[in-house]
Amino acid sequence: MQPSLQINNLQLFRQHDLLLSVNEQINGGEILTIMGPSGSGKSSLLNWLTGSLPSAFHTTGEVYLNGNEITNTPAHLRHVGVLYQDALLFSHLSVAGNIAFAMPASNKKQRLEKIDDALEQFGLSGFGDRHPDNLSGGQQARVALLRVLLSEPKAILLDEPFSKLDVQLREDTRQLVFEQIRYHQLPALMVSHDHSDAEAAGGKIITLAG
Amino acid sequence: MSQINSTVVTRNTEQALAQPTDWFTVLVKLSPKLLLLLLVVPVFGGLIGVILPAFGWAPVLNQYNIGLQAFTALWQTAGIGQMIMLSATTGFISTFVAFVITLMILAAFFNSVWLARIQQILSPILVIPHAAAAIAVGFLIAPSGMLARLISPWLTGWDFAPHGIFPHDPYGLSIIVGLTLKELPFLLLMALGALAQPELGKKLRQQHKVALNLGYCPMTAFFKVILPSLYPLLRLPLLAVLAYASSSVEMPLILGPNTPPTLAVAIMHWFNDVDLNLRLKASAGALLQLVVTGGILALWLLAEKAIRAFFSDSLTNGKREYGGAYFQKLTSVITLLVVIFISLALVGLVMWSVAGFWRFPALLPDTLTLLHWQSAVMQMGTPLINTLVIGAITTLLAIILTLLCLESEQMRGKKVSGFISFILYMPLLVPSIAFLFGLVLVQQLAQQSLAELSHQSSNVKTVYINYINVIITHLLFVLPYVFLSLSSSYRQLDQRFAIVAASLGAKPSKVFFKVKLPQLFSAILIAVALGLAISFGQYLPTLLAGGGRISTISTEAVTLANGASRRTSAVYALMQMLLPLLGFILAWLLPKFIYKSAQR
Repeated sequence: MQPSLQINNLQLFRQHDLLLSVNEQINGGEILTIMGPSGSGKSSLLNWLTGSLPSAFHTTGEVYLNGNEITNTPAHLRHVGVLYQDALLFSHLSVAGNIAFAMPASNKKQRLEKIDDALEQFGLSGFGDRHPDNLSGGQQARVALLRVLLSEPKAILLDEPFSKLDVQLREDTRQLVFEQIRYHQLPALMVSHDHSDAEAAGGKIITLAG
Repeated sequence: MSQINSTVVTRNTEQALAQPTDWFTVLVKLSPKLLLLLLVVPVFGGLIGVILPAFGWAPVLNQYNIGLQAFTALWQTAGIGQMIMLSATTGFISTFVAFVITLMILAAFFNSVWLARIQQILSPILVIPHAAAAIAVGFLIAPSGMLARLISPWLTGWDFAPHGIFPHDPYGLSIIVGLTLKELPFLLLMALGALAQPELGKKLRQQHKVALNLGYCPMTAFFKVILPSLYPLLRLPLLAVLAYASSSVEMPLILGPNTPPTLAVAIMHWFNDVDLNLRLKASAGALLQLVVTGGILALWLLAEKAIRAFFSDSLTNGKREYGGAYFQKLTSVITLLVVIFISLALVGLVMWSVAGFWRFPALLPDTLTLLHWQSAVMQMGTPLINTLVIGAITTLLAIILTLLCLESEQMRGKKVSGFISFILYMPLLVPSIAFLFGLVLVQQLAQQSLAELSHQSSNVKTVYINYINVIITHLLFVLPYVFLSLSSSYRQLDQRFAIVAASLGAKPSKVFFKVKLPQLFSAILIAVALGLAISFGQYLPTLLAGGGRISTISTEAVTLANGASRRTSAVYALMQMLLPLLGFILAWLLPKFIYKSAQR
């Protein structure tokens, strides 16, 4: 079966006001872009998808991942990865520690080899023992991407993921992230302010009203 | 019909899915109830245990005559009016003076590097227990103290120590000086803590700049722009300080008069009297203490309203200058005097602890000796171990409970209820002397019935029960501070880290232990150090809940302060200061070595 993230008739309310309604299917390798002013409910949509929506909101509708309903699944059992505009690397762990934290439990030697390979593939060889706070913005973004990929997610959410990077870095990082999403055939949903992000994603674009 | 049935079924399965199943989630969800239980039962049990004997019903003493005899006896006590006045005036005046100096310092040095420097100089005073501070102040202002030595004989002509009234002066001036010096750093730190909140602090600093640009003198800008927003955040700490100052026993015991003493001290003497029937009068006195403290709190709130009404027009009268330069200088002088006074008190304490022979007007001891330290340390073993064990267990319990409660907040997505936060601060607002006796009576009653049940009361058991009682009682005072200290850091954690970790497949317990706790490592260590410091400093709770059988550094220090040699007393006071200081130094050092293993 083809991987997919399916949002069925979602209606998201704050108190009693309807914030947004979405009804979309995203297939593996596709990137759906959501645009709209702040306050239009973009981050609430992401929180609902990750399973961390504050109790002040309530919703109707369901979400299916690869055909299984995950609407009420606890956040940690959903296999939905998320990338924010900040890399949010754990500063009490090294770069390798951050990635190891995300990987499924397995033999230690295999994990270390896998981490080394992945770092090398992303042009970060030898960075495993570094402290994440001392990496450049672009390097941090790559480690965050590696961390989420090696957690073997079934879908990826992107929350303004490139908005803190400068122009050249932004294009390179964006290209890398989109390549990986297509390579792993992951359904992806991106929230962005930026039209160039939306065009580069090459998928459907939804614009929310304020 | 079938439609309705099917929705019901789906709901049920959804709820079944949402039910917490792992032990961690269950524990977290239970924690706020456990917190309530640990705070409410002792305080309310204690209050009931005071109210009943006050009206004549005390099974422990075989007293069952319900009536007002205890209150009659209380009113007939010689000097009861003076006791009440002494408690009320020392509490109110010391808080007022400390608050005024706090405001002057804040106003004069707002947005200046000096504010941080003054904070650094004054904040170590926070961890000094009241008893130790009282001993140091007492030494300083005594007729043969450092102050008198500094001005003798060249100014005073004194060749021998004069007969002075300080400390123990009948007006309570010494108590006021001691309390003010302890309250000032606390209030200042509370204000700076409020200003350190990222959003509020930034907003207020910008508003202050706007006022300066509009031509307001910095001090005026503080009083007209900052204070109205800042004061509501200071109200609770101020009330706690007022409640404490009007009912504490350490300072008045060491610095106050004896004939008559403050109400709180008198109550303690009655309760510890060999004549057990005086306990009924003590209970009635404890209720009176509640009324006195309540009255002072009400007076403060009333004064607050009056001041607000009186000055509300002048906020917008456009006047930009009220002699700011003059007040700025005055504030500098007052701050300098406070710092000098505290330094002299500490230096004096250290010198007394190593002084051999020390003639009166001489500024320095004639001979130095380590003898007092040696003999004191030799006798200090048991109290020291008691202090450390009780402090460690109490703090550990407080930290675990606080962390679980804060986690339950995040799990439910909203702050703990107003009721819980009110209960949390209750031990700080209800005078401890008012409910501690009752608590001890309740504990004794429980102990008696336990002993009758098991038909044996070996001494070993009693000691353990005393330990548990002391720990439960310390927890009442440690929990609020640990909660206060941890909650802001916990609530300021970037939620997205937890979401990222969960999206990477981490269970709630893994997110808690592997992501949140390491991020909070230094905040937790600070809270541990604070919890230990509070526990180390407890005098009355240790004395009462321990049934006088458990000695700690604090109980020894207070006992020694009245009577024994100045030199031994100085050693104990210094030990009282060193212990919490060690905790804070460790809390500051450890994060530099742990969780920094990755290469920089």
